[in-house]
Amino acid sequence: MPMVTRPQFLPGLPNWSRKTFFALALTFICFAFAFPVLWLILTSLRPESGVYYVHRGTEFTLGNFKEVLSQERIVEAFINSAVISTLATIFSLLVTVSSGYMLSRFTGPASRMWFGTIYIFRCVPYISWVLPLYFVVQSWGIYDTYVGLLLPHIAVHICFFSWLMKGFFDGIDPSMEYAAMIDGCSRWGAFIRVAIPSALPAISALAVLCWLFTWNEFLFALILTGNRVPVITVVMAQFVTEMGLHWNLMAATAVMALLPAFLIALFGQKYVIQGLRI
Amino acid sequence: MAAITLEKLNKHYGSVYHAVKDVDLAIADKEFVALVGPSGCGKSTTLRMIAGLEDISSGDIRIGGRIVNHLPPRDRDVAMVFQNYALYQHLSVYDNLAFGLRNKKTPEADIRAAIDRAAGMLGLHELLQRKPKQLSGGQQQRVALGRCIVRNPQVFLFDEPLSNLDAKLRAQMRIEIKRLHAEIPTTSVFVTHDQVEAMTLGDRVVIMRDGRIQQIGTPLQVYGKPANKFVAGFIGAPAMNFIDVAVAVSPSGVTSVEAWGIKLTVSDANARALAVRNGDRVIMGVRPEHLMLGDGAPGMGFDAGVEVVEQLGSEILLETLVGNTSITAARVPAETKIARGDQVRLSVQPGRLHFFDPETELPISA
Repeated sequence: MPMVTRPQFLPGLPNWSRKTFFALALTFICFAFAFPVLWLILTSLRPESGVYYVHRGTEFTLGNFKEVLSQERIVEAFINSAVISTLATIFSLLVTVSSGYMLSRFTGPASRMWFGTIYIFRCVPYISWVLPLYFVVQSWGIYDTYVGLLLPHIAVHICFFSWLMKGFFDGIDPSMEYAAMIDGCSRWGAFIRVAIPSALPAISALAVLCWLFTWNEFLFALILTGNRVPVITVVMAQFVTEMGLHWNLMAATAVMALLPAFLIALFGQKYVIQGLRI
Repeated sequence: MAAITLEKLNKHYGSVYHAVKDVDLAIADKEFVALVGPSGCGKSTTLRMIAGLEDISSGDIRIGGRIVNHLPPRDRDVAMVFQNYALYQHLSVYDNLAFGLRNKKTPEADIRAAIDRAAGMLGLHELLQRKPKQLSGGQQQRVALGRCIVRNPQVFLFDEPLSNLDAKLRAQMRIEIKRLHAEIPTTSVFVTHDQVEAMTLGDRVVIMRDGRIQQIGTPLQVYGKPANKFVAGFIGAPAMNFIDVAVAVSPSGVTSVEAWGIKLTVSDANARALAVRNGDRVIMGVRPEHLMLGDGAPGMGFDAGVEVVEQLGSEILLETLVGNTSITAARVPAETKIARGDQVRLSVQPGRLHFFDPETELPISA
């Protein structure tokens, strides 16, 4: 009896060579992704004199981290970044969750218009938002303040993440909410007491994405803040000075800025992926 | 307790789609009514309008004499079982059952008593602490039933609750629902596309097609006296055979119908109605279970070629070909030696023929 076999990649090659091929390919891809990060970590551990010979020499130091942490402005930038990311996440989730829910559950002119608005803003290149936002922020007198950075971030989040949230709610069976409405809940009650708890894994995943998005954001922070609200991405770029480039210090700051993302990847990855899969 | 009345109920989606058309239906207190029809016939929409989950375009809905047209679902005192159970995934079975009562601010002790009673009826005691995800489909649907019972509502609404279960479980749950209705007689509306469920559960069956009610009647009425060809074909399994025949009245006054060598003598009641259509073509309907192997009564037999033999163990289903029309015969004894290609003699039990007008599809009767 003829056996039906799965079509194979690289047919005709012996099994061991195919396996080796895959192993090599995987190693190469992983290395390509990890190389910049490894280089960054290596640079952060070298004294200033060694940054151009990172691959040579045996002198390693934690001095860069010490120096960076002793600079008040950098510490302040870390705190600012954390606060702004957290606040932006909370406020944008408040809007995103209900807006995604509306897009998923209600069909009508209001929902369609909202969808259209978000769609248009998503299509506009990110960078072209900045100049108009700069003028708005200036005219409202909130330039270089927390609020002046928070509001634009929340606006971007709403446009980017309402779609994701819509997708999550699309995956949740609405009859649960109908059951709640028959069981004595109002429409809002069904949303808050049944839909939100069911979407909680997705909402947490989205919170992580939101937070990282703001934490990593550079362009808005650069244009919409001056000296009073330093954030980490901007401060990092400021190691490029007329006096030269402090690669070692920049790398040390960058390594510390990587930490939240790294921790999430290490411990939260499973839950984020699970949440995104709802 | 509560009767439900639907008067001239209509549902439009936009200007194009008219999902429910002029539905009039009076459901008595404690009655179990099954709404049945093919998908897209408007049965679920009708149910959702009764529940308040769907706005009505025009008409009136009364529950217990009170017009509920614009009341939100929570104020209608109804409970509903959904096709996909719709249990609150983040709550335990106990909290699922308690959800509705807690919304009504019922004291926790009363809630516990109500849940205890419902859990006893449905055998849910061991499951109370579990989450819905840890339950099988059948268990989940029992919890959904329990959620309805504990609230002690005026009306139970069922939206295809058995469709997601496998055949064996479906039969069990059907009995369970029937038993529950006997123990807690509550006005119930049961939507299904499965005519067996509708026939076995309903005190009365409502058959719908394209948004309109085709017939309302007891299971025996809709089976024995279908209101049109659609109902005749929809109710009963295997489905009724339809054969195009010509009416012929002999000089001696005997009415018969003919097609492809079949010549059947029509019994008295039908004969009178058919006699005036001498020479016309009509549609003859005969249910597979009313076709027997053998000669039968005089003038009631015809020859057929066997196409497919389906052995069910208890009986044989025969798919036969007469002319270019296939005719299914059920109730052939299981032991009968029969094979594809055989010629058999089939006969119709007297008085079991239905006739329909080919234009209007309405029954032709005296």
